[in-house]
Amino acid sequence: MSSHYADHKKRDIVLFSLPYLAIYVAFLVFPVIYGVYLSFFDWNILSSKVFIGFKNYVEAFNDPEFLSSFSHTLQFVGISTPLIIIVGFIMALITMQPTRTGRIAETVFFLPYMLSTSVVGTLWAWIFQRNYGLANQILKSLSFEPLGWLTDPSIAMTSIIIATLWWTAGFNMILFSAGMKQIPDEIYDAAKIDGAGSFTTLIKVTIPLLKDTSLLVLILQVIASFKVFGQVYVMTGGGPYGTTRVLVQYVYKTGFNYFRLGYASAMSVILFLVILLISSLQFLRKPDQAL
Amino acid sequence: MKKIAGLAITLLLLVGTTAVTAQSGQKPLEITFWSLFTGGDGEFFDAMVKEFNASQNEIVMKTDTVKFDDYYTKLTAALAAKTAPDVVVMHQDRLSTFVPSGVLLPLDTYVQKAGIDLSTFEEAPLNNCKINNKLYAIPLDVHPIIMYCNMDLFSKAGITKLPESLSELISTAETIQNKTGAIGIAADNTTATYKAYTLTRMFLSMLMEQGVYVFNADNTKANFNNEAGIKAYQALSDIVNKYKLTPKGYDYDSSVADFRLGKAAIHFNGVWVTGLFEQQPNLNFVAVKFPALFGKNAAWAGSHTFAIPAQKSVDEKKIIGAMKFIDWMTNHGYLWAKAGHVPTRKTAVNTKEFKSLPHRADYADAAKYVFATPATPKWPQCYDVMSDQLEESIALNRDAKTALTKLEQAINDILKK
Repeated sequence: MSSHYADHKKRDIVLFSLPYLAIYVAFLVFPVIYGVYLSFFDWNILSSKVFIGFKNYVEAFNDPEFLSSFSHTLQFVGISTPLIIIVGFIMALITMQPTRTGRIAETVFFLPYMLSTSVVGTLWAWIFQRNYGLANQILKSLSFEPLGWLTDPSIAMTSIIIATLWWTAGFNMILFSAGMKQIPDEIYDAAKIDGAGSFTTLIKVTIPLLKDTSLLVLILQVIASFKVFGQVYVMTGGGPYGTTRVLVQYVYKTGFNYFRLGYASAMSVILFLVILLISSLQFLRKPDQAL
Repeated sequence: MKKIAGLAITLLLLVGTTAVTAQSGQKPLEITFWSLFTGGDGEFFDAMVKEFNASQNEIVMKTDTVKFDDYYTKLTAALAAKTAPDVVVMHQDRLSTFVPSGVLLPLDTYVQKAGIDLSTFEEAPLNNCKINNKLYAIPLDVHPIIMYCNMDLFSKAGITKLPESLSELISTAETIQNKTGAIGIAADNTTATYKAYTLTRMFLSMLMEQGVYVFNADNTKANFNNEAGIKAYQALSDIVNKYKLTPKGYDYDSSVADFRLGKAAIHFNGVWVTGLFEQQPNLNFVAVKFPALFGKNAAWAGSHTFAIPAQKSVDEKKIIGAMKFIDWMTNHGYLWAKAGHVPTRKTAVNTKEFKSLPHRADYADAAKYVFATPATPKWPQCYDVMSDQLEESIALNRDAKTALTKLEQAINDILKK
C-alpha cells in the first residue's frame, strides 16, 4: 500500500512538474545549447549556416569593440556591485527601525525597483539632460557649472551607476531585511546585557549572522551587474563615442542590428562562462552551510 | 444569465458581419502588410490605409495591430521563414541586407502588370531601390537632412540671405551668434539618448557635394581618406572647435530643443522635425534643402519604401493587388507629406494639396539630390562606427589626417570581414 502510494507520489511530482519543465527546456535549456552550437557558425538568419570552428572566438579577442565593451562592463560591475550592496544594507538597517519612518522608508526604497528599465532609463535621461535636465538646473541654481552628465565621457558611466543604484538597491534591501528578521531577538538581548552598543551589535552580531544572506546578495548582484544593458541603451546609447557601451549591448547590436548571429552567440557564451565561474564560487563553501 | 447574454451578442455580431459581406456581394481581396511607423508617422499612415480601403471595394489592407519594438528582427525572422505579410515597409538602406538572400521579389514585371507609371517618380529615390538593375522596392518618401533657419534671429542680426556655401554658413552663424547670443549652428555632435548620426549624415553629404562617394564602387574599401574627406571633416570640426558655433558635448535633444525654443539660428536635421517646429508658437522659421557647401547639392536621406516578400507559393493576384495599394499610397504622397517627409512622385508633389502645405514645398526639391547609402549589408555597422569615431575625433579635436586614417582602418576592417 505504502509503496503504491509512493509510486503515485513520484508520478504526480513528475506530472505536475512537466508543464514547467517543458517551458524551461523550450525557452531556456534549448536556447542555451543552440546558442553554444551557433557560436561555431557564420549565420545571418537569411542564408544557410557556415561552420567556422573557433573563428568567432578568435575574432572576439581581437575585436577592439568587444574588448572595450567587456572592460566597460567590468568597470560597471566593479563600481556598482559594492555600492548597491552597501546602500541596500544601509536601507535595510533603516527599515528595521520599529517606527513609522522605518515602514515608510521600506516602501519608498522599494518602489523604484518595480519600474521597468525603459521607464527608469527615460526618467534619468531627462534628469541628466545637459541643457534642460533637472540635475543641471539644480547645479545652476546653486551657481555651479552645469555638467555633461551623459555627454562627458568621464562622468557618463557614473550617471548610469547612479540611476542603477536608485533603481535596484531596494531589491538588496528586501533580501537583507529578510535576513535580519531571521536573527533571533535573544541574541540581541544577550548582546545588550553584555553591554554592547548599537555599533558593536552591528559589527559583532548583525553582520556576521548575515553572512549567508550577504553571499547570496553578492552573487545575485554580480550576475545582475554583468547583465547591465537596458539603462545604458536608453540613457546613453553606449555614448559618448562608445565609452559606456557594455557587453550585452554590443551582443544585441551584433545579433539584431548587424545580423551576425554566430558572432553574437560566441560573445554571449564568453559572458556566460564568466558568470558561471563567478556563480560557482558559492559552491566552494562548506556543504553543511547551506544557504 | 451573463452567458446567455454573451451568446446573444456573439450571434448578433455574426449575423451582422454575414449581412455586410452578403451586401457587398463579392468578397474583397485581403492583403496583409507590416509597417514600422509609430507616433505621429503611424497616425498619418494608418489614416492613409483607411482612406485607401474606403476608396475602392476590390482590396482590403490588413495589418497586425501590434507595434513591433524591434521591427527588423521580427521582419528578418519572418522573411527567413517565408511567413512575412504580402507587403512590408522598409528603409531603403536595408534592401541590401535582404535582396542577396532572395527573400524580396523583383518588381519590374509586376509594375508593368499593375500599370504603374514609373516615369512619374523622381529618378534619384527610385534608382536607389534598384540592385543589379532590378527594382526591389518602391519609395514612398525620402527624408533628407535639410537646413532649418530661424528668421527672427536672422533679421535681428540684419541678415536676409540664407547661407549657400560653407563660408556663408560660417559667417552667417558667426554674425548671428555674436549679435544675438543665440547658438550659431545647432547640430548634435555627441551621443546621449540618440546617437550623433547628424555628423555622419553631414559628412556623407559634404563628400557627395564634392563628387566623392563614401566607399569605392564595389563597397569593399573606404573612400574618404582623401582631399574631399579632409575638407568635409575639417568643416565639421571647425564649426565646433575653431569657430565654436556649436557647443561641445551637444546632443540631439538639445539641438532640437534649442531650435524649437528660438535659441539657435541654424539647425541641421532630417525633415521629420518640421511638424514639431510648426506646432511651436512664435517660431518663425524656414526649412530648405541642405546647402551646397562645396559647390554641388547633395543630401543624405533616409527613404521609406514598399517591398514584396517572397512567399512559399506565388499568388499573382495578391501581388498585383499589393502593387495597386503601393500605387495609390505613392500617388497620395501629399497626405504622407503632413508627417514632414518628401513625396517621391511628381504626381503627388504637383498637387494643390501638397503645395498648400507650409514649408514642404520649400524643400521638396531636396528629393532630386538624395543619394543612396552603400548597398552592403555591412552598412548599419559602418554607420555606427563612423558616427562613433567622428564624434570622438571632433570631441578630442583630432586633426583631419589622424581622424580619417583611424576611421578608414576601422571601416576597411569591417568591409573585409
